[in-house]
Amino acid sequence: MPIWVLSGRRNMTRLSKQTLDGNVETLILAVLESGPSYGYAIVKELNERAEGILQLGEGTIYPVLYRLEEKKLIAARWRLAENGRQRKYYRLISKGHKALATNRRQWQMLSAAMGKVLGSAENLLPQPQVKGATI
Amino acid sequence: MSRALQKYLDQVILYANRKEKESVKIRAELEDHLRQKTADLAARGVPREDAVFGAIEDHGTARTVGYGLRKGFALLDVRTEGTARGFVAIGPRAVGIIAFGNVAVGLFAFGNIALGALAFGALAIAGLLSLGGISLAPLGAAVGLAAVGQGAFGMIACGGLAVGLQVPWAIDGVSLLSGENGLQFLQHFQTHEGTVALVAITAWLFLMFPIMNGVMCSIKRNEYLRIKKADPKLVE
Repeated sequence: MPIWVLSGRRNMTRLSKQTLDGNVETLILAVLESGPSYGYAIVKELNERAEGILQLGEGTIYPVLYRLEEKKLIAARWRLAENGRQRKYYRLISKGHKALATNRRQWQMLSAAMGKVLGSAENLLPQPQVKGATI
Repeated sequence: MSRALQKYLDQVILYANRKEKESVKIRAELEDHLRQKTADLAARGVPREDAVFGAIEDHGTARTVGYGLRKGFALLDVRTEGTARGFVAIGPRAVGIIAFGNVAVGLFAFGNIALGALAFGALAIAGLLSLGGISLAPLGAAVGLAAVGQGAFGMIACGGLAVGLQVPWAIDGVSLLSGENGLQFLQHFQTHEGTVALVAITAWLFLMFPIMNGVMCSIKRNEYLRIKKADPKLVE
């Protein structure tokens, strides 16, 4: 089984706040598309799906969640968790589904266009490590 | 629950500055997150104490997280990083009805760079009145070292009614746009009432800046004391 590592810390560029702003909302909507979830699980899922490329401050997710709730793109409910404590679960609602579909379409178009102009993002993806060498 | 976690949550809630009822819910949610993260790290073999600090570190600084949790547009928003948004907004960047900041945008804007209906600053751009080093008021009056506006007063003045000082390199009293000569314009104030009005307007303009700055300092001091009272280490 290959061990996936980052292609070198120096090669990793920190995404600016401006680049991320607004897009974090879309990422969260995408995570919630697969079912209701809560803050910590959303962060974990985001990190897993992004394969470590996005390193969000975990606490920064909550202002975004509250904003999405205010915009009525998601709904929240407190439920008893397995640890016996109350936990806030978020779920996507119809307006959120529509927003996600729109954002996803826009992103795919933009991503395709950017890829053509700037080149592929292949070199940013983690490389499989072979003993003694990195492919 | 670790004291470090409780203290971190106290600080986040302090910076968030929300109503009591909202704060309780936010705190419960963040606490749940941090507990889970700590448990996850501990399960991976990280010593308990390191796990707590790791969870806090990954969560972000209390100030950043707390500011992020503030209301979108509050009555009063004072912050030392990021953009303050509120009826009265004070911050490095500020957006509000009355805004103070390095970059201030508002109906009344005070800052190094100020944009608004009334703007005061090093670079002031305003619709009605701008007062500053470089002062631009395309639709109104501009007062500054360099002033451009319908009524412009400054060392270098350019506008419908432009009045400049008597220095060799200044565009002195010459209207570069349509309108009358600046010196002719001043002649309107040669009556007693005119002089009184001119002095009053000028005094008001120049007093407004220190008065508003005094108000801002007072508000900032209150915020400083609020944080200091809750946790003196935060203002050290």
